[in-house]
Amino acid sequence: MIKVFLSIVTKELLDFLRSWGLVVLVLYSFTLDVYIAGGGMQIEPRNVSVGYVDYTGGGISQKILSHLHEPEFLTPKMFLSQRELSKAIFNKEIMVGIIFDQEFEKNYRNKKEATIDVLLDATAASQSFTTLSYLQNIVLNFSKLNIPIDIDIHKLFNPNSDEHSFMALSELLSVITMLSILLPAIVFVREKEEGTWDIMLLMPINPKITILAKSFSQVIIIVAGVMITVGLVLFNGFNLPMNGSFLAFLLLTFFYAFTSAGIGLFIASVSKSMMQTAQLSMLIMMPLIFLSGAWTPVYAMHPILEKLSLLSPLRYYIEGCESIFFRGTDFVDLWHYFAGVLILGSILYWYGFRKIGKLF
Amino acid sequence: MANLNVNSVTVIYKGNRIGIKDASFKAEEGEIVGFIGADGTGKSSLMHAISGIIKFKGEISFGKYVYHSPKEAEKVKKYIGFMPQGLGLILYDRLTVEEHLDFFANVRNIKMDKNFKTYKQKLLHMAGLSRFTEREAEHLSGGMRQKLSLICTLIHRPRLLLLDEPTTGVDPLSRLELWEILDNIRKEEGTIIIVSTAYMQEASKMDRLLLFDDNRIMASGTSKQLTDSVRNYVYKKTPCKDTDCLELHNVTYSLKPLNSEHKDPTLEDIFFINALKNRKKLTEISVSKRERRLEIPPIVMEAKGLTKKFGDFVADDKIDMELKRNEILGLFGANGAGKTTFIKMLLGLYPIDEGELTLLSQPIRSGRDRRKLKSKIGYVSQHFALYKNMSVRENLIYFASIHQIPASEALRRIERYGKELGFSDYLDAMPKDLPLGINQRFSIAAAIIHEPVVLFLDEPTSGIDVIARHQFWQLLKLLKEQWGISILITTHYMSEAEYCDRVVLLKEGKKIADDTVENFYKKHPEASNFEEIFLEYYREAN
Ligand SMILES: Nc1ncnc2c1ncn2[C@@H]1O[C@H](COP(=O)(O)OP(=O)(O)OP(=O)(O)O)[C@@H](O)[C@H]1O
Ligand SMILES: [Mg+2]
Repeated sequence: MIKVFLSIVTKELLDFLRSWGLVVLVLYSFTLDVYIAGGGMQIEPRNVSVGYVDYTGGGISQKILSHLHEPEFLTPKMFLSQRELSKAIFNKEIMVGIIFDQEFEKNYRNKKEATIDVLLDATAASQSFTTLSYLQNIVLNFSKLNIPIDIDIHKLFNPNSDEHSFMALSELLSVITMLSILLPAIVFVREKEEGTWDIMLLMPINPKITILAKSFSQVIIIVAGVMITVGLVLFNGFNLPMNGSFLAFLLLTFFYAFTSAGIGLFIASVSKSMMQTAQLSMLIMMPLIFLSGAWTPVYAMHPILEKLSLLSPLRYYIEGCESIFFRGTDFVDLWHYFAGVLILGSILYWYGFRKIGKLF
Repeated sequence: MANLNVNSVTVIYKGNRIGIKDASFKAEEGEIVGFIGADGTGKSSLMHAISGIIKFKGEISFGKYVYHSPKEAEKVKKYIGFMPQGLGLILYDRLTVEEHLDFFANVRNIKMDKNFKTYKQKLLHMAGLSRFTEREAEHLSGGMRQKLSLICTLIHRPRLLLLDEPTTGVDPLSRLELWEILDNIRKEEGTIIIVSTAYMQEASKMDRLLLFDDNRIMASGTSKQLTDSVRNYVYKKTPCKDTDCLELHNVTYSLKPLNSEHKDPTLEDIFFINALKNRKKLTEISVSKRERRLEIPPIVMEAKGLTKKFGDFVADDKIDMELKRNEILGLFGANGAGKTTFIKMLLGLYPIDEGELTLLSQPIRSGRDRRKLKSKIGYVSQHFALYKNMSVRENLIYFASIHQIPASEALRRIERYGKELGFSDYLDAMPKDLPLGINQRFSIAAAIIHEPVVLFLDEPTSGIDVIARHQFWQLLKLLKEQWGISILITTHYMSEAEYCDRVVLLKEGKKIADDTVENFYKKHPEASNFEEIFLEYYREAN
């Protein structure tokens, strides 16, 4: 029986490795996707044309403008009135317009709220919004230090590692959820689509073994992917701290992958094509992620949703992982996260298992 | 006048694989041109080129349009109807029969007027689908899907009709009706029809035949001209040991004159003589004894009143059937008669609604009863489905390991089957790169790797060329002799009834005849072949 189990696992892994489309998707999700989500890759502005109107008579305003230099920005161009500047933006001569009003310098010196008006050409969305964040950072530094400054802004703008590693981790957990639902579902639906389903049914094997082996093979892929992300992207790219036990994290991931695999099995049992599988996965995944607190913190939810979120296995997984990485909680103190994942996981997996088992 | 002129067309695929080389021919308005030839000799490639969906070298003109590339062909596409090879590839599983016709009419911008409605009814009738207009495509039988694709292709009354093996898996009665329709279309509308086929009786109905071999057009002419060209090589069965000779079960071919009586040549003979001329030795098929001895009961399968319903529709109606040890039983019947459904009930792929089933002396009541028997049963489905991402060898290793055959033994068996069934050269190829005939033998190898006692084969010979089919039956015969295996097989080649020990005829879900082939002939002394007998049953019951 063990041998049969292993041959099915081997076959599925082989099948996976040869479906290069799937391999690319999985590799992308576990590396670049997490990296980008964590802000590791920014779209750097290049040669952004800046225009300004300065009603203050120079000083701080010029200091700020001096930080907009090549290669990111062209030398800022002066305009005499706001009208002219708007026109230039409209004609696409200028992408970002900055207006220093008469009160600006005064307010700034008096430590009052000093405001700069910024006009953006929003059609070049990414460039202009990144420029905006540059500007915000520049201005932020001015207001913090309150002295004529000469610091390398670009360094200051570097990712604040804590916040970014947090974002990358959340993205990873979502990726795990998506793939561990999708992959096991695909394994079964592919058999339906390619017409090998009947052959599978006619194998002289206990269907339970088939289902278990097939889902196990996909869990292996997920766990391998997670190791890649954590080792390559999170530790190297974002200096994610590892305050707890890596083993605990792997174990929790393993159980969680089975939990989502249960959902995958359910999806596979009701869908006939890849298209349906993809749609259904999205449909089920969204509330799951939403309720988990990955997007809105749980404490900020409506009380009913907050209660409901207890039903999302992802919630326990996320909180468990955060505890492991950031807080370094001891293995024994993680028990309620494990319990949450295990209890919900057993129910979901059992249900999916039954559902798909009925087709055998 | 819209004539077709194909001028030295060459198709080359990735990796310098030649599809078709230097093909030239002309066709006039209203002409039916047949493409015949073994699998993989370039018939489909040429059709794809003419229909303007793949790149080619050379020139094609249709009427006043001349084209050298798919792009230039855009302007003729509205006159072309092309039906690719394969069971219902152009269909959408979730659309009903009626929705399909309307969909294809909409795509082609056809006015839904009275004319259209009459034509639609006529097509539906021809395809035998009038009763099933509300049925979704995924619930149609294999042959019904094929016929639906065909009438979808005809719906816009193309001026140039390209049909790639349209009658694969289509029953004899429908084939006759199809030919009537094609004949009408070309007479009424002057359509040029190009058809490839593996049924040689059909080929003889065409105005002109192009014989493909080695990815070229080797010969062209009427069916009579082609058969006459080989007349001298065809003899009544005589022993002959020469290398220039080939001896089959009722005929002998020889390139050198033999001192024996000639036989009237048929189109099928051309294929064997071609192989002989090209010194392409037919792979010698052999089967050695079972590796494990087995006790087999005298009755392998016994069905009593098996019934299957889909909603109100009764697909199989109280069918009794018996399969004996060491017997080849042919299951014949028109499309949708319930053959596949019956086999699927035997296999447990569909639950049995009524009736009793006994397999290998074991009454089947639950999934558990079946599980024990699965290792004694082999099955090849209507679509030869195997795992695409694994090579032939890997597929077979996988099947063997699932059947718990030790690895060393499995490898040895795979080598042996490769040699005996003649696919050794393809062991490391991927299933999609195999010629159909090889694919089918390899599917059989997968189905017998565990040395089963009984084999269920659903249209294993559909779409396969004459020689491959001949070799396939040789294989079945050997399996029967060497292993004492029992085989239940469905087919739409009526001539294959001759290879069966017994034949069961199904019609609209009911069994209408069950006898040995000899007895069938005895009861119908006027019939000269099994097709006539079959048609008689179907007509007389109407
Ligand atoms: N799942 C289903 N739901 C509804 N009807 C079905 C279903 N499966 C098959 N049928 C119908 O049952 C009938 C018998 O189908 P079956 O596939 O057994 O025919 P067949 O004899 O194998 O035909 P062919 O020679 O074309 O393969 C057909 O009318 C078909 O449309
Ligand atoms: Mg069928």
